[in-house]
Amino acid sequence: MRFRRPRAKQAGLAAAVLAFAVVALLLNVPAPARAAPSVSSSTANFVAGSTPYATWNGVDINTASTASSALTIDLAQSATLNYSWPTAAGITINDARLQMFYFGFAVSTRDVTITPAQRAGPVSLSWTPLSISYVLEGVYRLTASLIAPNGSTMWSENFYVRGDAPLGFVALLPIVLLVLVVYELYGLVRSGRYATIGRKSTAVPPASPPTETPPSGTQTSAEPPVEKGPPPSGGSP
Amino acid sequence: MSAASHGAGCGVVLGIVVVIFLQQVSYLVLSDLVPTIEYLVIGAVVGGILGALVGWVLGRSYLARQSIGETTPAK
Repeated sequence: MRFRRPRAKQAGLAAAVLAFAVVALLLNVPAPARAAPSVSSSTANFVAGSTPYATWNGVDINTASTASSALTIDLAQSATLNYSWPTAAGITINDARLQMFYFGFAVSTRDVTITPAQRAGPVSLSWTPLSISYVLEGVYRLTASLIAPNGSTMWSENFYVRGDAPLGFVALLPIVLLVLVVYELYGLVRSGRYATIGRKSTAVPPASPPTETPPSGTQTSAEPPVEKGPPPSGGSP
Repeated sequence: MSAASHGAGCGVVLGIVVVIFLQQVSYLVLSDLVPTIEYLVIGAVVGGILGALVGWVLGRSYLARQSIGETTPAK
């Protein structure tokens, strides 16, 4: 007798295989590609003392190069960035840029175009990180960069900020996520009731008694004899 | 849908939501794409496995309770 698997089991097996394949693919991504951010700090071409730098409200962004040392800011408040680079750096800049990244994408970008291009700074940039600060909070990576007239990035520096919600507690997204967590926990606790449904769908029907083959030439009264003649024609018009 | 599969579904959603929630409360940084996807996939897989286990255990206890209720004679 051929055993047929339930559809739920097949779907679960397929999901497990898919999850395993995704994890294996992600673990096979080369380590340098995973570790390096999309825009890395590039200060190797400058001689000592001529490296450009930038300050966030007077604080050197170099002090917030890791997530644990992130600058605590209010996402709704305006911040002033000062880019500085000496003539000895030997670069000509016509664009000072600040970008905020989330899920690898620049969710917010601010540019100050310098016309004509300058061989030395400072350049000031005023920026409000998010106009929807009641929605998000958390740690974000920002990249400050200086761009040459030909579009190439001459200098860039990554730093981290920890954005707090204006109300000082939580923003809209964390509240929605908490509600989702509570709802899914409730669904998980009630998942035991689905056992009955699973059992009903996979239950084997009770075995029927074996049908005895009647001897040839005899007819049971329950089943009418099959006529060998032509099939009946269609109904009356 | 069995209890284990329902629990696994809840666990997958919980794992993903918890990862995003940890970023919002400053425990995780989700600025770069590749670690973010890794965190989400790991959260979903771990949540799914744990959810399936919890659902399976709850389903067994629910069935045990149901069978006890069925075998107890009505007074």
